[in-house]
Amino acid sequence: MLELLNNLVFGLGVAITPMNLMLCLIGALVGTLIGVLPGIGPVATIAMLLPITYGLPPVGALIMLAGIYYGAMYGGSTTAILVNIPGESASVVTTLDGFAMAQQGRAGPALAIAAIGSFFAGCVATVVIAAAAAPLTSIALLFGPAEYFSLMVLGLIFAVVLAKGSVLKAISMILFGLVLSMIGSDLETGAGRMNFNIPELADGIGFVVIAMGVFGFAEVLRNLEQSHNRDIVNAKITGLMPTRADLIQAAPAIGRGTVLGSVLGILPGGGSIIAAFAAYTLEKKLAKDPSRFGRGAIEGVAAPETANNAASQTSFIPLLTLGIPPNAVMALMVGAMTIHGIVPGPQVMTKQPDLFWGMIASMWIGNLMLVIINLPLVGVWVRLLRVPYRHLYPMILIFCCIGVYSVNNAPADVYMTAAFALVGYWLVKHDFEPAPMLLGFVLGPLMEENLRRAMLIGRGDATVFLTRPISGTLLTIAAILLLLSVLPTLRKKRDEVFVE
Amino acid sequence: MADAGQNTSARKRIRNPQDFYGGLVLAAFALFAIWAGSDLPGMRGFAFGPGTAPRLFSGLLLITGLAIAVMGFITDGPPLEKYGVRGPILFIASVIFFAATIRPVGLVISSFVTLVIAAAATTEVKWIESVIWAAILTVFCVVLFVYGLKLPLQLWPRF
Repeated sequence: MLELLNNLVFGLGVAITPMNLMLCLIGALVGTLIGVLPGIGPVATIAMLLPITYGLPPVGALIMLAGIYYGAMYGGSTTAILVNIPGESASVVTTLDGFAMAQQGRAGPALAIAAIGSFFAGCVATVVIAAAAAPLTSIALLFGPAEYFSLMVLGLIFAVVLAKGSVLKAISMILFGLVLSMIGSDLETGAGRMNFNIPELADGIGFVVIAMGVFGFAEVLRNLEQSHNRDIVNAKITGLMPTRADLIQAAPAIGRGTVLGSVLGILPGGGSIIAAFAAYTLEKKLAKDPSRFGRGAIEGVAAPETANNAASQTSFIPLLTLGIPPNAVMALMVGAMTIHGIVPGPQVMTKQPDLFWGMIASMWIGNLMLVIINLPLVGVWVRLLRVPYRHLYPMILIFCCIGVYSVNNAPADVYMTAAFALVGYWLVKHDFEPAPMLLGFVLGPLMEENLRRAMLIGRGDATVFLTRPISGTLLTIAAILLLLSVLPTLRKKRDEVFVE
Repeated sequence: MADAGQNTSARKRIRNPQDFYGGLVLAAFALFAIWAGSDLPGMRGFAFGPGTAPRLFSGLLLITGLAIAVMGFITDGPPLEKYGVRGPILFIASVIFFAATIRPVGLVISSFVTLVIAAAATTEVKWIESVIWAAILTVFCVVLFVYGLKLPLQLWPRF
């Protein structure tokens, strides 16, 4: 306990330097700014803003990216409440009561309670991360290659089962990502693989190329096809602060949402989406008068917003302790860390404690800043919502182009990004989710390495994955999950959650 | 009308073309990857060769791709979606233009023209507004990336 406190204080010391404080503030501000803009989700926001962190020291860069992430999530909630369009899938439920409140002229309290709930969740989740980090890291250090491989398989299966759409198609997307990650040179022998002796492919396809192509550009291509008429609440936003009655009503919902979100966020895949849905459903079940929900019940905003913020924060746990990104945003974080020469995993905590604890402490600061900057700036965000899409996409375009180009100063990377934009566009047209592909691409080299080592240690015996107890258990859980997801009854339940 | 046709006459027609063709393309890509990596040595005794993991993953992709195609053949699903023409072509063209010109002519000219090409990608384009906006964004990028973040980008053509 004392150690935990010491670590957090040490982290605060790192995060609170003027430079890092500044970066955290800019990150949260810019993240919200871009996240509020229509048609740009958190993944696209981070992909697009990645280049502005290139020149920073690693700690500062990650603090800023984390700030961007929270900002983008908060921006998503803002659009959910004000225009009935969820900025990201985790705030889908927020639209139900949030927009209803906005129509009643109570957009201010809705936004405020979302911010307050998120801040509370952020405080708790920060402590949860700090507390979970040390034990999980020490477990991870005991893992051999076989256990690591099985853990990654389990993580990927979780991500597939807990995401929307067909499980089979999601698995094929993971494999697609894995195959793409094999391009380049073999880690052990240095042999060129599937690169057709093209020098630009000798080091493989860059992570940024795929992320910006499939998440940045492809999203633009899809958005260009839709018309962008949206009805923004015209009622003047008066009275930002919730009343005392609002707060009393929302407080228990915030508490329950925090617990649900912190737990569910650790699960790979749609952790934060499921957390938001679960929290909303729970509140509706517990309410004395469930019919208020959908008509502007403040708990209906507080619970899911709290839960999804707690979850989006605890989803850092698998990344920071095990080095395994549980979702697309965390995969982007891996990419960002790699650019700065950090290999995510259990060794980060021991070898770079300033980075580790600094980032965790900055999460709390980031959440505080969101409350401080966002409430007064609501008016600005509302005006931003009216920016037409024809002004937005050129901005995404040029940011991504410069970002991709300046990783290696290589025009070839920009050409490849254009190609992956078309791949991403095609995937969307055939209803394939690109997120598992990104996970597969990021985990590919790590999976291969551990698979190879495990096989070598097991003297070519593939049953080693099943006979070693931890590895066997992990794989069994993965198999059960996969079986459950195909069962018709559970399938229906799962589809209900993701259809809206 | 179309619905009735799908239910009665077209037993032979593919019932979920999105999945059917999607699965086939993935399977074809897997085959291509297997071919592309066919020169790589495989297992040496207990040890994986450089070609083992690529073949393993491509093989699994081939299987799942074909499975998706088969499922698309026997279960119902949405029809193929239409592809945009103007948007993708002009947008991708602008990206390619950026890649081709960033080195020879520098950031200022390259990004301005790129932005103007991209502006034409939507049918809602308003030319005067777009050109002004392209100029503003160009200045913004120069200030942010070159002066603010000190990225080593060439500003003007090299002679």
